[in-house]
Amino acid sequence: MTRLALLLGAICVFLHTSRVAALPTMIRLGYIDCASCHYSPQGGGPLNPYGRAIDEAQSLRAGEYKPRENGFVRAISWNGRIAQDVRVVLPMQRAWAAHETTASFRPRLLYRNVTELPHGFGAYFTITGETDAVPRSTVYDPTPRTSSPIVNVALLRYRVTPALELFGGRDQLPSGVNVPDLGTFIRQRNRLGAYDSPAQLKLHWAGRRHRLVPFAYTGGGNEADGERESGGGALAEIDPIGSHHLVVGVNVLRGRADNGARRMLGAHARFGIGPWGILAEHDVTSRTRGGVDGPFRQHATYGQAFWAAREWLVASLIGERLSVQQPFAERIQGGRLELAARFTSIATVSASGGVQRNATTGRTSRSLQIQVALKTVY
Amino acid sequence: MRAEPLAVMKHTLRFLALAVVFLLLAWRGAAAQGPAADASALTVSGGLASFEVSTNVLGTTVRGKSSALTATTLVRGSAAELLLERLEATLPVASLKTGIKLRDQHMVKYIFQTADGQQPDLHFTAGDARCVRVDSVSPYSCSAAGTLTIRGTPRPFSITLEVIPEGSGYQVKGDGKITLTSYGIERPSQFGVRTGDEVRLHIEFSARTGSKTSNPQDLPNPVQ
Repeated sequence: MTRLALLLGAICVFLHTSRVAALPTMIRLGYIDCASCHYSPQGGGPLNPYGRAIDEAQSLRAGEYKPRENGFVRAISWNGRIAQDVRVVLPMQRAWAAHETTASFRPRLLYRNVTELPHGFGAYFTITGETDAVPRSTVYDPTPRTSSPIVNVALLRYRVTPALELFGGRDQLPSGVNVPDLGTFIRQRNRLGAYDSPAQLKLHWAGRRHRLVPFAYTGGGNEADGERESGGGALAEIDPIGSHHLVVGVNVLRGRADNGARRMLGAHARFGIGPWGILAEHDVTSRTRGGVDGPFRQHATYGQAFWAAREWLVASLIGERLSVQQPFAERIQGGRLELAARFTSIATVSASGGVQRNATTGRTSRSLQIQVALKTVY
Repeated sequence: MRAEPLAVMKHTLRFLALAVVFLLLAWRGAAAQGPAADASALTVSGGLASFEVSTNVLGTTVRGKSSALTATTLVRGSAAELLLERLEATLPVASLKTGIKLRDQHMVKYIFQTADGQQPDLHFTAGDARCVRVDSVSPYSCSAAGTLTIRGTPRPFSITLEVIPEGSGYQVKGDGKITLTSYGIERPSQFGVRTGDEVRLHIEFSARTGSKTSNPQDLPNPVQ
């Protein structure tokens, strides 16, 4: 039983549930945030036409993006007001831990929609269907109730000006370095995982060298009993030297639920120039739990050095670290090598291999993953 | 008729005094004129040139660079100032890279290509530029005014230069601005993202001094 639990924990940690969202590595080309290519300034969701052109140009095919203009496309896009795509993500995983080997295949299907409405309003939806749920591998922060399909995003936007947008609805909270991999400690252990979509109100204010996103939130309705959290926070980012190749930021959050409270302070940086760059984030979360004396602290660190060997081929060396104080003591360190190849704007394939050591239990686990992501483009 | 020896001596002394005064005046004049007459040819190859242009989308700036800048000039130097003569610089447009190949192709096609399909190099020429510095540790600075030719269209252009002596040569940095409209170039646009009109240029290179010459005609042509 212990072995099984250990193996399950290792699988959960290794199952990098990428939502195939925004690519912070694009800072190497001077894109300091996601708004250039995505309808959502937070990243993720359908690409806007410019984003589709960049997506195609950054693929092995490196062709011109030519929007289809036939009657069918005009009809399903409401004459260009609706941008939508269907995405299939096929992650195949093999993990070895404590003399146990396991393999998994957990396909997911996503439908993503952005509808532009009159007078600066817009609606964003993302619905995901999956074959198996991936629970969060922690006892002090239970996984929300999973379902398939699940509505990840249901958001209404009001654009005051191009630089100032107000959002209300259900979505992930803004996060620091904003890596698409939802299985990383900085995301999974800070309620930014695959099933965390709280109801929220947020303001997105961006300039040429800054971004400020204050937000207030409450439970999304799928939390475990006593875990419905309400609170607020802010994400602030600045391009300190105006180079468009370096962004530093902080992320603060304070939330309270019946079963406990948490306060998070995070710092992050994105840097990229030419073919290479670095993404880094460190979050400190102070938590309280019912039945536990006093607060305990959680540290989550993420570091990624990436190198675009070709425009369509990006290699990354990723390191992660997690430490949690008593009574939920955990000390985990891991690293992995990842190779992501965008063959066309429709097909991306990534492969990664990693090793992770849990210093608390003394166990080491290894994993290999191949993921194929396909999406519709028109 | 023989001259009095005393009168000859007086004339000689007067002549010598005048000669000394003349030489003094000539020396002062030369000093006031600036650097020494000897000049060194400066050649640059593999210099860095970059550009930056903002767009109508917040947080999106297009940048490009090339390390194929070649230049020549003649330098006459003194402790207080440098005189750059017959400044010429050339940059092949195909060497400019923005990080996205397709965007590079668009840039060459929409910015640098002439109506008849030619893609001429960028070319800058300037006359003299006098660079001065406030003390012996500061870099020399000056503005070089000349002509920048883009896709065969010459337009006045000036660049602010900062010159730092470095061994037997100089390290040079320069910044300037152009507007696309002044060259009759339409601002490029791609699916709603349109660049601004003003393009900021930056150059940076280390130049080595070549043979000393006092004749500007001895300057080598920029390396092609």
